[in-house]
Amino acid sequence: VKPQPSELHLLTGSYALDAVDEPELEAFERHLTQCGSCVTEVRGLRETAARLAFGVAVPPPPALHEQVMAATYRTRQLPPLTSRPMRPERHGSAKRRGSVVRPPGRDNRGRRIKILLPVAAVSLAAVVALAVLQVRTHDQLNTAQANQNAVAAVLSAPDARAGSGAATDGGTVTVVISHGRDEAVVTAAGMPALPGSEVYQLWLMGPAGTRSAGLLPAEHGGRTNPVLAAGIRAGDRLGITVEPAGGTTQPTTSPLIEMPMPA
Amino acid sequence: MGRMKVQRTLRARLSEDVAGEDGDDLVRLLSQVARGDHQAFEAVYAELAGPVYGMICRVLRDPAQSEEVAQEVLLEIWRTASRYDTEKGSPAAWALTIAHRRAIDRVRSETACTRREHNAATDPGNREPDDHDVVADIVAASIDQQRVRRCLDGLSVLQREAVTLAYYGGYSYPEVSALLGVALGTVKTRIRDGLIRLRDCMEVTS
Repeated sequence: VKPQPSELHLLTGSYALDAVDEPELEAFERHLTQCGSCVTEVRGLRETAARLAFGVAVPPPPALHEQVMAATYRTRQLPPLTSRPMRPERHGSAKRRGSVVRPPGRDNRGRRIKILLPVAAVSLAAVVALAVLQVRTHDQLNTAQANQNAVAAVLSAPDARAGSGAATDGGTVTVVISHGRDEAVVTAAGMPALPGSEVYQLWLMGPAGTRSAGLLPAEHGGRTNPVLAAGIRAGDRLGITVEPAGGTTQPTTSPLIEMPMPA
Repeated sequence: MGRMKVQRTLRARLSEDVAGEDGDDLVRLLSQVARGDHQAFEAVYAELAGPVYGMICRVLRDPAQSEEVAQEVLLEIWRTASRYDTEKGSPAAWALTIAHRRAIDRVRSETACTRREHNAATDPGNREPDDHDVVADIVAASIDQQRVRRCLDGLSVLQREAVTLAYYGGYSYPEVSALLGVALGTVKTRIRDGLIRLRDCMEVTS
C-alpha cells in the first residue's frame, strides 16, 4: 500500500525525531525532495528536537574531551562539497538527495580515513611547533625541536590509538600510541604543581622490566607539552611517579597512575 | 581562552536562545573547524558536548556506551564540519541530528552490548571535571531544562508521551504506537502536533 503524499506529510514530526524506519524512511525522503513545505517543517522540528537535547545536557566525563581532542589530530577532515558550482555537467546525483535535510550521520560509519595525507602532517607539525614556542629556555627549545618530528610521526601514524586515565592526586594523562612504531606520545593536564626539588617521571612497566620513559615537563596553559616514549614492548603499562629533580633509574615512590596502553 | 568562551556562552544563553547568538557563533566556529582549527573545535566542543552526551545517555542508558558513541559523534563533527550548510538548520540541530541518529543506530543494532575492553580499563572512576566549566554547564543546563520541562508540561499527555518515547526513548513511531496502545496514525499525528507545540513554546526560529 503506497501512502498518499498528505499522509506522508504527517511524518515530518516522526522523521525529525528519527522515529521512521525503512521502507517508509526512503519513501518520506523521496517525498522531501518534492515538498518544500515539508523540508521547512522538518527543519523547524529538528531545531525543536535539538532543544530537547539541551534540556538533558550533562557535563561529559573529562576523558571524553581528551579522547576526542587526541582523535582530531589523527583524523583527516572531509573536503567541502564543490560539485554544484564547479562541475555543471554533473547534477541530480544520488548524493544530492541526502543533502536536503539529512546530515551525514548514518552512512559514514566505519569509513574513518586511516591514512593521513601530508596536509594533515603539516598542520600537526604546526601545532607541535606552537607548543614548542611556549617552551622558555634555549636548551628546552632544542630538545623540543628534536622531538617534534618524532611526536608528529606518532600522532599521524595510521595505527595511532588514544586513551587516557586519571591520576590519583588529580590530573588526566593522555597517551597516543603507535604499536607499529613502538612509540607513544604522552601529555598530562591538571596534575598538581610540584616543588622545584621534584618531578613527574614516566615509566614503561611490563614483562621487560621497568624503564624510565622521561620526565614530564611543567604544564603550560593547564597541559604539558607532549613527551615521546620510545621502545615500548608488548605488555607495557604506563606509570607516573614523583621523583627527585632530574629523575631516577627506578621508581622510588608508588605510581600516581598505572594505565594500560590503548589497544 | 576556553574559560572566557564558557562565560560568554553562559551570558549568551541567559539572555538568548541556543539557536540565536550562539547559533551565529557556532556557524563561524564550524567554518574555522572545517579549516582544521583545533581551538575553534574546543569552543564547539564546550558548546555541544553536554547536550550530545546528555541526550545519548538518555537514549542508551549505559554510560560507557554513551561515552563511546558521543566520541564518535564529536569526531564526526570535526571530520564533516566542511559539510555543514546553514540552509540545513542551525549547527546545534545539525550536530544533534548526527548524535541522535548514531544513538538510534546503536539502539537498533545487534552489537549494542559489545564494549571495547580498554574503555573499561581506563574508566574515568574518580575523575573530577574542571569546576568552572561544570558550574557554567549546570547553570546553563538548568535554564534549558526548565524551559524544556515547562514546554513539555504544556502538551497533552499523549503528545508528551509520544514525543519523549520517540526522542529520549529512541523508539520508532510504530514502537511508540505499540507501547501506548494507540493507532499508528494517531501516534504520527500526536508526535507532529506535540513537536509543533513545543516549537511554538520554545520560540524556535528556523
